[in-house]
Amino acid sequence: MSVVDSPATRRPRDPGGPQQNRVPGHAAPRRRKRNSGLVPWLLALPALLFIAGLLGYPLIRMLVLSFQNMRLRELISGRTPPWVGFDQYTRVLSDGVFWGVVGRTVAFTVVSVLISVVCGLGIALLMRRVSHGVRLFMIIAMMFVWALPQLVAAQIFRWMTDSDFGVVNYLIDLLPGVNYQNHSWFVNPWQGWSVITTLVVWAGIPFLAITLNAGLTQVPKELLEAATVDGATPWQSLRNIILPILKPLLMIVTTLSVIWNFGLFTQAWVLRDGHPEPQFQTLATYSYTQAFGQARYSLGSAIAVITVLLMFGVMVFYIRQMFRIGEVD
Amino acid sequence: MAADITSPVAMRARKKRRDDNGSLTVGRSRAGTIVANTVGIVFGVLMLFPVYWVLNTAFKPADEVLALEPGFWPSNPTFDNFISAFKAPLFLQDMLNGVVITLFAVAGALVVGFLGALAIARFSFYGRKAIILVVLVVQLVPFLALLIPLFLMLQNVNLGFTTLNLTDSLIGVSITYLVLILPYTVWTLRGFISGIPRELDEAAMIDGCTRAQVFWRIILPLTGPGLVATSVYGFIQAWNEFIIINTLNSPDKQNLMAWLLQNQTTRGTAWGPLMAGAIITSIPVVIFFLIIQRNIATGLTAGAVKG
Repeated sequence: MSVVDSPATRRPRDPGGPQQNRVPGHAAPRRRKRNSGLVPWLLALPALLFIAGLLGYPLIRMLVLSFQNMRLRELISGRTPPWVGFDQYTRVLSDGVFWGVVGRTVAFTVVSVLISVVCGLGIALLMRRVSHGVRLFMIIAMMFVWALPQLVAAQIFRWMTDSDFGVVNYLIDLLPGVNYQNHSWFVNPWQGWSVITTLVVWAGIPFLAITLNAGLTQVPKELLEAATVDGATPWQSLRNIILPILKPLLMIVTTLSVIWNFGLFTQAWVLRDGHPEPQFQTLATYSYTQAFGQARYSLGSAIAVITVLLMFGVMVFYIRQMFRIGEVD
Repeated sequence: MAADITSPVAMRARKKRRDDNGSLTVGRSRAGTIVANTVGIVFGVLMLFPVYWVLNTAFKPADEVLALEPGFWPSNPTFDNFISAFKAPLFLQDMLNGVVITLFAVAGALVVGFLGALAIARFSFYGRKAIILVVLVVQLVPFLALLIPLFLMLQNVNLGFTTLNLTDSLIGVSITYLVLILPYTVWTLRGFISGIPRELDEAAMIDGCTRAQVFWRIILPLTGPGLVATSVYGFIQAWNEFIIINTLNSPDKQNLMAWLLQNQTTRGTAWGPLMAGAIITSIPVVIFFLIIQRNIATGLTAGAVKG
């Protein structure tokens, strides 16, 4: 159909001298828009169908489910579960355990994201300061950590913090006057959560440091030189020049970290052998255990809906940032 | 941005930047560099320690693994752990399952995603923004939250003439994984396609190409590297997934990640074979990751770095 656009086919139809020169330039973009009415939709159709079928429909089903009472009996018989209105939500929201889980998840997210981003930024700045060889070593080390599957990383940490044969206990025990033999890291929730946080921060730093380091190359050197000449301390340069320029990128990586860490599942799950105790439950594991452990599918769905709602603000922010990019090019 | 590279100013700026090693610090002292280097090396060693420890454990014989005083080097290195991992029940079966599921999911997502990306990147039409929005939103929906309805849905797939139970089958997870990696695939390929100048399309069309020919001869070959990077990332995503497959399928229809998870619940973990299994499972991912690492972050933060 687009062959019409080519001058060769147009000439016999429209033998106008000066007019003809003007027409192709104007007509081409307009024609493209008019002709492409159905084509883009046909191209996008398979993707949209898949997304609608396996993401959109389950999302609606999850909402519906949270207003019903689906238990094992309904699952087996295939009957429509009874409608219970907002009962599941009242039950969840009036449950002290649930609020404990929410508080724990939020606290973990704030602490772990803060540590990760500050460390990531620090490492990114450090990478600009070290010699070439050291920088290469740092990048290679981070690449290996980044590449490790989440589950494998969690298994390694579980092994390292094993109470009988873990290397962490052995190393701490070497310190004079400290007895850490057979120390169990998950008896005290504070200690257990510091192991989980260490794992999450350790695994999260490579993405943050390498991305932020790439962002730092955008800071014009002239600005920093000028600031130093004017007597700015390194701290002032960081606060008044580097951080403002880095801000958009910093916002995006922080948002992503919040989304990822808020959904913490694998690390808590693996480190607690697939049976997280109440003090190690996060919103994700709590919803999962309620649904698949206790066969309270509707209650689990209600918790999942609340989780998504709690994340809503952060998600909208991220989507707005990315949307702007997608619209531009 | 492409035009900038050839401008003399940019050339000078690049040269200058290279001269002083990309450092942002002005008037760096030698002592400062030594301190920074030391901190950098300590950081790298700390980061690598768990990786070193898993390798160290995997090559130790059983009695050395469970020594009260862990050795920092296997005194009698052995492949026993790897052999017992391979011999462990379902290990090879789950490995094969993983390969089949992953390849299906990646190939499907690539075809479907490429067409979708083409629509968003090359056409301006009513509804384009809505599609972009959908792609972005579904990328953020925690898949774990959808697991409950997904499980119920796959248990009872109504085709009109018959109903199928797609749980405990490779087909169900394969399709699920396809959708899992689809949004990212569309979004990343969109970036690669819009990177190809539209002028190329137009020039080809003036020379008599049809739309389909433009697609086959211009866009597809030029998106080649992008397709590779995207599919590798999709591979990693699908290969690393274990929660969905662990919930939907029984052990003989799971993948290696789920195998690693199952292994821990048997009484008393066999740490040596587990760590060896973890290494075997990670190898394809690590290799692929190192190949395409440059492209991964760009997909997530694309555009934010632009000057």
